[in-house]
Amino acid sequence: MAAIFLRVPPGDLFAALATDAALDAILVTLETNVISMALIVVFGTPAAYWVATRSSRLRDLVVTLVELPLVLPPAVAGIGLLAAFGRFGLLGSTMEIVGIDIAFTKIAVVLAVTFVASPFYVRTAVSAFEGIEPTLPDAARTLGAGPAKVFARVALPLAAGGLGAGAALAFARGIGEFGATIMFAGSLQGVTQTLSLAIYEQFDLDFDVALAISAVLVAVSAGLLLIVKLFSRWRSNSTSPIPFAAS
Amino acid sequence: MRRLAPFFTAAAVAAALAGTATARPQQEPLTIYAAASLTEVFRALDSGQRYNFGASNALETQIRQGAPADIFASAAPLNTQNLFKAGLVEKPVTFTSNRLALIVPKSNPAGIRSIYDLRSKPVKLVIAGPAVPVGNYTRTVLRKLGLTSVLSKVVSQESDVKAVTGKIALGQGDAGFVYVTDARPVSDQVTVIRIPAWAQPRVRYEIAVVSRSSNKAGAQQWIRALLAAKGQNALKSAGFLPLPKPKP
Repeated sequence: MAAIFLRVPPGDLFAALATDAALDAILVTLETNVISMALIVVFGTPAAYWVATRSSRLRDLVVTLVELPLVLPPAVAGIGLLAAFGRFGLLGSTMEIVGIDIAFTKIAVVLAVTFVASPFYVRTAVSAFEGIEPTLPDAARTLGAGPAKVFARVALPLAAGGLGAGAALAFARGIGEFGATIMFAGSLQGVTQTLSLAIYEQFDLDFDVALAISAVLVAVSAGLLLIVKLFSRWRSNSTSPIPFAAS
Repeated sequence: MRRLAPFFTAAAVAAALAGTATARPQQEPLTIYAAASLTEVFRALDSGQRYNFGASNALETQIRQGAPADIFASAAPLNTQNLFKAGLVEKPVTFTSNRLALIVPKSNPAGIRSIYDLRSKPVKLVIAGPAVPVGNYTRTVLRKLGLTSVLSKVVSQESDVKAVTGKIALGQGDAGFVYVTDARPVSDQVTVIRIPAWAQPRVRYEIAVVSRSSNKAGAQQWIRALLAAKGQNALKSAGFLPLPKPKP
């Protein structure tokens, strides 16, 4: 870690960051990851709630499927995405007929990032929902709240700390995505070249730029980890002490 | 404990035997860093060595960072000469030559029939990055043909020639520039569109012994074999061109 920051003076590091390659990579990474995170949170939150409040055999299957990208090598993810969404893939060929072009576009990057980062959010979200003291939703129900209202007014606020931590973890994984992206989306500056891909390209071209981008990723990752810690503390404060536990 | 003694004796004898087996003077395989376009031909020529195939510029960087290579075979003289000037390899020699081709997937989604179709048709063009030898040669070809405007149709700049070949063979891209020798192993998946001889760049492959190598004699011997009839025939049958005659 220290080697990344010590090899080049900080002034040169900032100068290297001001190059087009680095700036474009920062923009591409931000744009694609913000879209991915929106998708992950919008679809992942209800899915996690569903998983956390069921105890069927189907649940184990769903959990396994959701967690699979967590343990899959990125190269396998890349191959899988190509087989599914490639131009001659299972879904890709249909989408091309419909007019949605995925190959070498930001959509491909978003798909890759969503695939690899989503388990980090969903997993944390499931345990956050499971960690809610069951008497609280039950109490809400006895007071006449419907399932939607219980989710929105009771479960969501109580799990917010865990959800935030999960989102930060998923974002950290997403901005570092490399393997699946380079296989599935290719690498073009300003279009599909994310920070990790830019490091890989600049490694042979200009080592200082590669170093500068790496330094940014180290700083951002450290910041995100700190956020996760803060969220976790907030979660433990918000769920305990349990208001009705004594009675 | 006594009952176990024969077992221990047997184990000790076995270990001693294994020791002598590995201690026998054996030819340590050479570590050869070679341009990605040499993947098939080098493996076919001599499967007994350790290879690291990649973009010549990436291999140059790795050797600069102290990678434990014995031999460096580059698709462009620039990379070997850079290392030679830095004293990291011994004097490089030219060992073969190559040509570029345009490849399209067999299904040819963009309907490319000639290289000039790149200008007139919408096409997802895949090329290698500018620092990669084949990427540099690609830009030379386009300049000679007056087609530099098609660079705006590039959808991905890949890190080596095999990555370009793969993206086209898979049908992800519509067209890509590779060496003619890269098209051969995937000839059932791609169609080759020739580039006129006058627009061809001078593609010269150089090879050199890495200065830090602990087996320089073995490395030199391997290079001599590559320059001799057996090596040259293997290159020729893979589609590489014979050594270019030195220009006066």
